[in-house]
Amino acid sequence: MIELEHINKTYVRPSGEAVHALTGVSLRIRRGEFLAIAGASGSGKSTLMHILGLLDSPEGGRYLLDGEDVSGLSVKQQARLRNRKIGFVFQSFQLLPRTSALENVELPLLYSDRGSIRGVGRRALEAVHLADRIHHRPSELSGGEQQRVAIARALINEPDLLLADEPTGNLDRQSAFEIMAIFQALNKAGRTIVVVTHDSEVAAHCGRIARIESGRIVSDQPVAQPKKALEAAK
Amino acid sequence: MSAIRVINHSVRTMARFKLRTGFMMLGSVVGVAALTLVISAGQAAERKTMETVSRMFGDSAILIFDGGGHVMGGPRGQGTRLKLDDIDAIAKEIPNVESWDPQQGLPGGSVRHGDVAEQVRVMGESERSEHVWGRRASRGEYFDAAAVKTADRVAVIGETVVRRLFQDQDPLGAEIRIGSVPFRVIGVLEPWGTDPHGMDRDNEAIVPISTLMRRVTNVDTIASAKLLIRDSGAAERTRDEIRRILRERHALAANEPDDFTIITPAEVRGMVGQIRKVLFLYLPMVAGVALVVGGLVSAILMLVSVNGRTAEIGLRRAVGAGMGDIRLQFLVESAATTIAGGALGIALGYAGARGVAIHMHLGEVELFTAVLLGIVASIVVGLLAGVIPAMRAARLHPVDALR
Repeated sequence: MIELEHINKTYVRPSGEAVHALTGVSLRIRRGEFLAIAGASGSGKSTLMHILGLLDSPEGGRYLLDGEDVSGLSVKQQARLRNRKIGFVFQSFQLLPRTSALENVELPLLYSDRGSIRGVGRRALEAVHLADRIHHRPSELSGGEQQRVAIARALINEPDLLLADEPTGNLDRQSAFEIMAIFQALNKAGRTIVVVTHDSEVAAHCGRIARIESGRIVSDQPVAQPKKALEAAK
Repeated sequence: MSAIRVINHSVRTMARFKLRTGFMMLGSVVGVAALTLVISAGQAAERKTMETVSRMFGDSAILIFDGGGHVMGGPRGQGTRLKLDDIDAIAKEIPNVESWDPQQGLPGGSVRHGDVAEQVRVMGESERSEHVWGRRASRGEYFDAAAVKTADRVAVIGETVVRRLFQDQDPLGAEIRIGSVPFRVIGVLEPWGTDPHGMDRDNEAIVPISTLMRRVTNVDTIASAKLLIRDSGAAERTRDEIRRILRERHALAANEPDDFTIITPAEVRGMVGQIRKVLFLYLPMVAGVALVVGGLVSAILMLVSVNGRTAEIGLRRAVGAGMGDIRLQFLVESAATTIAGGALGIALGYAGARGVAIHMHLGEVELFTAVLLGIVASIVVGLLAGVIPAMRAARLHPVDALR
């Protein structure tokens, strides 16, 4: 479903120094996969996620999403594709303050062509077991609950790809397992998920791990026996 | 349409952040209120000034004051040279003078009726004052030439005097005392209300100038005179003739300054022009500065708000908002705050202008002007405050915004 071929990305620091964030990265992700992109901070994993999520454009190479070359799309076309095909989950949840869980979940509908559909937000919240929290504000929810709201938001437009950037980074162990359990369940139901993490414990729950160092993928192999988050969460 | 949803969403977002929204409104409230207040009150002041000026000068009149000096401001020497004979001589020698009325006053003289005493502005005038000033007796009658000639002790009084001294009972034929001199009330002046200086023109008593000078003030000079002229086009020439006659009669040497002041319609137009300049150029400029500062304050708060909301902007971009959506959201926020602030500013400015008008006796304030100005001012503030922050928000790169 996703093909990256020889992707390069260079940043220029304010000091004028050029940083090669990604060098010749090639990566193939099949539909229904659960991939962890693992690496230390500064390894280029966040840059890779931004490119996968169409938040940033690569400088060289090719990016095929669903067979369509998306490397040269305009900012506007990228925004439409993000809205339709990609769901994001961030480390710091990124929920709108003073805004109900339901309205947070329905935010992507604001920018979509199909508009608001009655009950969609509620169903998305039910899917992450927050049916009783739909009118709560973020400040009234625990960290784990907030991240579940964020997952529901990421799923509202039925995206092809769910991208999660250190989704458990701000959570306690228990909540982290809960979130991973939700990801595993979603993946089991056929959702393609990419988790970016520096935490090998998190990566061990995925079906495949691509390790990245200094902007290059240094290893890429399936996990023989992914850990089961649901059991750990109990 | 997606734009309508974004607008809806923006308004709801603002309602959730009342303090932020309130502060952003403040700039437009202050700016719009200042401009509306100044222009609306200025308009009322101008109308009142024109009313007074036309009452004093009519179409064509020349005023002569005792003492030389400047027309507006500056010291005017206490003159003691202008006499009744001077004015009579002018009227006789200059054919352009149609009618004339000399004046001498007793500002704030004590006037009594029975046990009640009041401070009343007592004016001594000729029988022609009715015609020259265009102020008639609404009840009773004005004194005639014979009364002036024989210095009769008769008085025409204003409505305020009637109310204060007579408790609104019929004053005609009653006796009042100006100082210690008894006068008989023969008429009541038509009401004129309050002039722009706040002086109640109904708190006046007019008596024959001869009586006032001989029996009350005991002086032989007059304070001023108003001349009506036939041909207002020749006003400047008439002024020169008056000046020549007065300098001659006062025996002034060539190097001595005038000991009198002549005001012609052209000078009145000049004064009105200066008043207009203050009312419609300088005051609005000050208000305009307030408006621009208000707009900048709103703009800065909006920019601060954009900086504080980068994560939100990044998130919106991530879930599919285009640059246009972000721009629209921030424009809607600034437009809504500016419109709401502007409405409040119009209300405050109008209320303020009415307060000023009441305090300074300027009469009614036009609502239409206030609203129109307020709307224009709001748009100025809105453009100042909204466009730059909105562009900036839209240009934020999603990756930077999410960091």
